[in-house]
Amino acid sequence: MKVSLRWLQEYIDLPTTDPAELSVVFTNLGHEVEGVETLEPDWTGVVVGKVLEVGPHPDADRIRVCQVDIGGGPTRIICGAWNFDAGAFVPVAVPGAVLPGGFEIGERTIRGVTSHGMICSERELGLGEDHAGILVLDGEEELGRPFAELVELPDVVFDLAIGPNRPDAMSMVGLARDLAAHYDIDFRLPADDLPTVPGDTGLTVAIEDPEGCRRFVAREIRGVTIRTSPMWMRHRLAKAGMRPISNVVDVTNYVMLELGHPLHAFDADTIAGGSLIVKRATDGETLVTLDGEERRLTPDDLIIYDADGPTSMSGTMGGERSEVGDGTTRVIMEAASWDPPTIMYMSRRHGLRSEASLRFERGVDPELADRANRRASALVASLGGGEVLEGFVDEVAASWEPAVVDLRMADVDRLLGPGLDAGTVADILGRLGLTVEPGDPMRVVVPTFRPDLARPADLVEEVARIHGYDRFEARIPTGPAGGLEPRQKRMRRVTEVLASAGLFQALSLPFVGLADLERLGVTETDLLTVKNPLRDEESKLRPTMLPGLLSALRRNLSHGASGVHLFETGRVFSVEPDVDDPRLPTQPMRLAWVMHGPFGMTVDGKGGVQADGRVSLAVWRRLAGALGIEARLLPGSAPGFHPGRTAAVEIDGVVIGHVGELHPEATRAWEISGRVGIAELDYEPLLAPVAPVPGFTPSVYPHVDFDLSFRVAPDALAGELLRVTSDAGGDLLESSWVFDEFRGPDGERAIAIRYRLRAPDRTLTGEDMAAVRQAMIDAAAAAGATLRGA
Amino acid sequence: MDPLAALEEALASAAGMVAGAGTVDEIERVDAALLGRDSAVGRVRRSMAGLDPEERPRVGARLNEVTNEIRRLIDERRDELQAAEDASRLAEDSFDVTLESVRLPAGSRHLIHQVIDEVVDIFIGLGYRVAEGPEAELAWYNFDALNTPKTHPARLESDTMYLDWGDPDDEVLLRTQTSPVQARYMESHEPPVYIVAPGRTYRTDTVDATHLPVFHQIEGLAVDEGLTLGDLRGTLAHFAREFFGSGTEVRLRPSFFPFTEPSAELDVSCFVCAGSDPACRVCGGGGWLEMLGCGMVDPNVLSAAGYDPETLSGFAFGVGVERLAMVRHGLDSIKNFVDNDVRFLRQFR
Repeated sequence: MKVSLRWLQEYIDLPTTDPAELSVVFTNLGHEVEGVETLEPDWTGVVVGKVLEVGPHPDADRIRVCQVDIGGGPTRIICGAWNFDAGAFVPVAVPGAVLPGGFEIGERTIRGVTSHGMICSERELGLGEDHAGILVLDGEEELGRPFAELVELPDVVFDLAIGPNRPDAMSMVGLARDLAAHYDIDFRLPADDLPTVPGDTGLTVAIEDPEGCRRFVAREIRGVTIRTSPMWMRHRLAKAGMRPISNVVDVTNYVMLELGHPLHAFDADTIAGGSLIVKRATDGETLVTLDGEERRLTPDDLIIYDADGPTSMSGTMGGERSEVGDGTTRVIMEAASWDPPTIMYMSRRHGLRSEASLRFERGVDPELADRANRRASALVASLGGGEVLEGFVDEVAASWEPAVVDLRMADVDRLLGPGLDAGTVADILGRLGLTVEPGDPMRVVVPTFRPDLARPADLVEEVARIHGYDRFEARIPTGPAGGLEPRQKRMRRVTEVLASAGLFQALSLPFVGLADLERLGVTETDLLTVKNPLRDEESKLRPTMLPGLLSALRRNLSHGASGVHLFETGRVFSVEPDVDDPRLPTQPMRLAWVMHGPFGMTVDGKGGVQADGRVSLAVWRRLAGALGIEARLLPGSAPGFHPGRTAAVEIDGVVIGHVGELHPEATRAWEISGRVGIAELDYEPLLAPVAPVPGFTPSVYPHVDFDLSFRVAPDALAGELLRVTSDAGGDLLESSWVFDEFRGPDGERAIAIRYRLRAPDRTLTGEDMAAVRQAMIDAAAAAGATLRGA
Repeated sequence: MDPLAALEEALASAAGMVAGAGTVDEIERVDAALLGRDSAVGRVRRSMAGLDPEERPRVGARLNEVTNEIRRLIDERRDELQAAEDASRLAEDSFDVTLESVRLPAGSRHLIHQVIDEVVDIFIGLGYRVAEGPEAELAWYNFDALNTPKTHPARLESDTMYLDWGDPDDEVLLRTQTSPVQARYMESHEPPVYIVAPGRTYRTDTVDATHLPVFHQIEGLAVDEGLTLGDLRGTLAHFAREFFGSGTEVRLRPSFFPFTEPSAELDVSCFVCAGSDPACRVCGGGGWLEMLGCGMVDPNVLSAAGYDPETLSGFAFGVGVERLAMVRHGLDSIKNFVDNDVRFLRQFR
């Protein structure tokens, strides 16, 4: 809400006008200051003058010679405008004045007659576009008074973000009340006198939806002339960011800004049948709103009907059919109390968030409806020259009561700490307009303009707000025992290991389209779906981490990156109910990576390797080693994985994911050239606690190395051969590794393994080695491998 | 030749020969030529047995003197030559230390995760634990248990992503905040509670410089006997000083959230200019940076979790991780965090 300081000062005598100081006060009251604009007149030397005489120029037809009094007797000024006569009050730029654009006013002789200044138009003062004639002021003004005073310049405009719980503070009066409570001073309400003429409005109002509308106040003003509002009102509205339109419309906006209750004015002659009915719309009905848009209504919309159908969208925007226009003479001024959620949904449904709907959806005080109606009716009558009829409509469909809250000092102390006494608490609440009956509990009656105060905690917030949040002693409480769980520590460890291995952690959006999945070879289509996705092609929640990482890889390659190695941890989603909480879909954590291009030690890339399935497996081995995970690697396949270059990772007999290479078809579909090392693994099994490693002291006795070369089937698994022969080595085996693989023509294949034996307590003998060697050969034979050359 | 004369002649020629040797190899040859078996000195040594016994001591004494002298000359020269050769070999065996040729593979953890861990560690230091919760969450935990009425605008589809899944009466959505973890944790734990809950959150926002549909929050919750607004302020001031620097000031200003009462926004003093630079790129001259929303846990939230709001009180806060990272590292676009550009990721090791 934009708040003009000069306007605000009509309701409160502030102890300071310093914008910085007031910004801090607004902030401390919870009204965030989003901007402060200082307004200065764009001119100097312009004062109020009265036209005493208008006469012809002796030597020119189109200009006139005026005698103008600016406080020191008649001054001669030549003027080319014809829209005024003697008696008009006008802005006069005296010699030496500077107008917008640096235009300096001096004495000027036109066809033999000297002009001592200039009478100004609105446009010449930069106040508007009106250049049809000079600016004729509304009433009598003090002669010689600086013209800037009339448009309340200089001024400061605060742009405040009013919280969603504070309908009352979206008004000058509400802010004045808060400021008065802060400074412990008084504030003033605007005048509440309403001269009326005898007579009854013929209008009838029926509320058929008491939930949607609890009160409807309507007054009729007759004999109104629609014209431009007076300058002071137009400029106040403009400072508040609202466009002045005409006196009647401007009054509704002005009173809304002043008191916080939105109003709507109907042209009474356009209300068919002289009756208004408040009810929900019927599906398919339409209403053309003031902005010229035809709105299709739904049964959730709350609409004001007349005998001809929908005529206004309650609390949001009026209808074109009953709009006040130039020819309007009879005005129905409406102030109604609408249901906040109804207005909130309706305004959003129709994309019509207006100043009115913003207030109604916060909850406007029903008590205020008549007060605002009286104020608006009186202003229309005074600005539009009409008369307010005495008999008016005040239809109440549902009553309201002020809230009564029993506040104990214990409630205050529990949330704010001891330190405030009951007297201070009662005083603060009183300053905010609440009625306090002393005692413990003190009985607090909350006026209906504060719907946000219904419970003791709400009142405690008010006490803290006015006392000052920062005035409570700061303390740092500590928990009984904190720290990461072992599982959480392992999560950090995983990411640290992968980062130190050379991979960058990525974060992808978890939305995918079916096309992304198809390109990966994932054919599953029963996926968890967002009802209201940002984009239809990204309505699915990822069942796999790979599309996000592959997109990131491709984007990096398109930027010219070489050597892109990314990993990510995050959730994937499925339509299956969660095992632990079947009310939710399954959403397990996964770990995945993609690796492409040079990976290794030299800057030129020659000293490293090209990332592929083998490199991906190397990363897995590094990770498994660092985490102490005992896993078996077996040939495996999964959608998107290369069937011949992928390992299934098995922990305790359960496959937890795959590590290997992207399927060539997927590589092509993702438009990536070259091999891509990939992996996707369930995360939780990697985080399971592992038993402490049993440590040992390295033996000081000599070792014995020997090699065994086995003839194996072309598709035999070297890892399995290594595992079974090493197991056969028993306690004496210190280490073993495959050091050579030979593939000959005709499917011939051999695997050579080096074994190192060592005893903890003695030097090995030839017999020791022979026994171990034979056990290994036997184990290999059992696994289908024969010793080469045997 | 007379052995003594031969020795004198050898000695006389030694200096020249030694000086003439230009390399260690040459000095070895000179060594052989002057003192070897077939050198003049060597021949004298071999002839010693055949000498007249009276002459032998004299010749022997001179032989030793000459041998030692020549040996000394050769050793000196050899040391000189060796040192020169070593020096020139070292000179050749060098590389430009400013030229990087070997590089260990090095990746990094995502900045968002680095920030999360840093914040979590600050609170672990205060005795907090880390709680987690599902991202596809029941509307109950995301809203109802947090005192957010059915008609609250945050529940509209324009703000919240709902899932086409499960029982329509038990709506499932992508959590819009990490606050549901509060409700879940209290439901399953007895007080006192001191937790932080980092995680991913979702809103119906399209990607631009300041919005992402998926972002990260860290929720904090403390519920105990006797916790007040002053405890909230002290705790968050501690956090701000640890994260932004020891000179950081904080201010609490009243605000509104459904799940806290009183509610507040926490601003921290600008860690770049502390308000002294009207054109500051971080705070824009205001001196304060909006950091997080917080407040005293609403009694309805405590009740919904089965806690007694008459005896217990607590505070909660929720901080946007992207915001923390952007502010501290001067980043102008939140998109960076999901673009996964290695040039971006590489900066934060």
